Amino acid sequence: MRDYAPMETGLTAQKFGPPQVSVAGDMGLLVGFGVRYDPVVNAAVLAFDRAFCRASPAGVIETVPTFCSLLVRFDPLVLPFSRLETQIEALLAQEDWYAAPPESPARRWVLPTVYGGARGPDLGRVADLMGLREDQVIDGHSAVTLRVAMLGFSPGLAYLGQLPEVWGFARKTRLSPEVPAGAVLVAVRQTVLPATPIPTGWYMIGQTPFRAFQPRHKVPFLLAPGDELRFEPVAQSRFNAFDQATFLSGAKDGDVEGNSGG
Amino acid sequence: MSGLEILSIAPNATVQDQGRVGYLRYGLCGGGAIDGYALAEGQALLGNRPDDAALEFAGFGGRFRARSALWLACSGAEMTLAVNGAPRPWRQGFPLSAGDELTIGAAKNGVFGYLHVAGGFLGEVVLGSRATLLRAGLGTILREGMVLPVGARAAGVDSGADSQGDIVPLGLRAPDYFARRRFRVLWAPQSRLFSPEVQARILAQAFTVSSARDRMGMRLDVSPGAGLQAEDGLTVASDATNLGDVQITGDGAPVVLLADRGPSGGYPRLLTVISADLGALAQVPSGETIGFDLVSRAEAVDELAKFRRKISALPGMAQPVVKDLRALTDLLAHNLIDGAIRGDEGDDDDD
Repeated sequence: MRDYAPMETGLTAQKFGPPQVSVAGDMGLLVGFGVRYDPVVNAAVLAFDRAFCRASPAGVIETVPTFCSLLVRFDPLVLPFSRLETQIEALLAQEDWYAAPPESPARRWVLPTVYGGARGPDLGRVADLMGLREDQVIDGHSAVTLRVAMLGFSPGLAYLGQLPEVWGFARKTRLSPEVPAGAVLVAVRQTVLPATPIPTGWYMIGQTPFRAFQPRHKVPFLLAPGDELRFEPVAQSRFNAFDQATFLSGAKDGDVEGNSGG
Repeated sequence: MSGLEILSIAPNATVQDQGRVGYLRYGLCGGGAIDGYALAEGQALLGNRPDDAALEFAGFGGRFRARSALWLACSGAEMTLAVNGAPRPWRQGFPLSAGDELTIGAAKNGVFGYLHVAGGFLGEVVLGSRATLLRAGLGTILREGMVLPVGARAAGVDSGADSQGDIVPLGLRAPDYFARRRFRVLWAPQSRLFSPEVQARILAQAFTVSSARDRMGMRLDVSPGAGLQAEDGLTVASDATNLGDVQITGDGAPVVLLADRGPSGGYPRLLTVISADLGALAQVPSGETIGFDLVSRAEAVDELAKFRRKISALPGMAQPVVKDLRALTDLLAHNLIDGAIRGDEGDDDDD
């Protein structure tokens, strides 16, 4: 994986574009901004999604932003394919979406996390892969402010980008049948944070008691693409004492630090 | 407690309705009945609302006992059906009295069968639906011993009340899609990652439906060496999956993605089955051979319109069957009861 340095805005469209609109089933159009994850591409997806949703035409069912593309699901018997295509093409032409600066994050999260031990069974393996000591891995991982690139795979699961190049090792060759909700999973310079138990091929280096999916609450999904997030190493006792309601009530002005005392 | 008691039930049975809309961007799949036409048949037979919930069986049903007087109907893939040991016809309303025992056995001509109750099965509505999603702990997890509460019937439903005001069961003719083995498709956006040779092959080749299947997807077997690998490796950056996408897994075998699929995925997708055909495809029994036919998006949209018209027509197609079903049960074989549906319902099964 390449590490893209900040780039001159005039060059971005040539580097990644132009966006492509494809038929995605008989109820969908896919707007592709690139084929490989890159923060610039992902920011283009999110900026275009926000603009599209502001003027969402009747007949659009939902949009699904991911790493590199936006799926627009719609009812073709209400909104004909050709009309939606024209609208999407017009909006694409309105600006250089690759030059859209990432919007300031809606929220900044600091999530208490226990690294290693039973809650991070793969920490030692990851330290070996990186040629570091376990405490260096923890320091490195918790020092980086990550951004939610997309949600997907299972309810509330967040893909977080992007760790430095040294985290570019591949996923495991064998699946773990199940890791718990809140598992902190790493590989290919990304961190994955599932909100329900999932099978996975990623390395589990820690766990947070925070749950991004709370189906019976008024706000069922707490994370959104564009949010910033940092993991804070804590002792097992802080994990055990964690109370999600208290944590969320500590959120002020969009910054969610919880009741992090230490 | 009134309702329907579960005496035993297949582990893959779920509660389903029209599913959840608008949560794909959060990683939550839509769920809902795999065979949407069958769901609508049950609503038509009982005068239910479109979003009333039913039980969905995948291959095998269960045993139940009425804890109160209930009206029920079955739809979708035909399964063996008996009340207190006496066979009952599929796709017809029938009453149960408190204490009556209902047995639903194995599917005969398809996979997904449905048990509907007048008023719908109740249960917690989470994010707009009662649908069970086992792996996320949503909806009712069906278990032996559980009594499923039943809702009030929709107002103004006469369910074919006769001149004396008695309720007369309604019946529907079996649709013809269970015999279908060819399904219409569009190219998926990632079809470009496959060579022209592989693109040609997936349309020419016949596939055997594997028994590795569930509500997430159905795997199609390929013979060794006949895999459909993408040129650019096994995986792509995860993006949104569509209902009906034909994804090519690492070993080159296609998997058709269904209602409980992961809303995003990193395997390249070669085709998308059109909306009008997906329910029928999901009903093909394991071991059967299927194939794909490419259509234009205009044809796919026309077929969607036709499919929706058929569903809208179902309430009008449901016709009263013989008046006193109970008295006749022992006399009538299944075919005879089918014959007792009036012959003038019209026939819109034109594919």
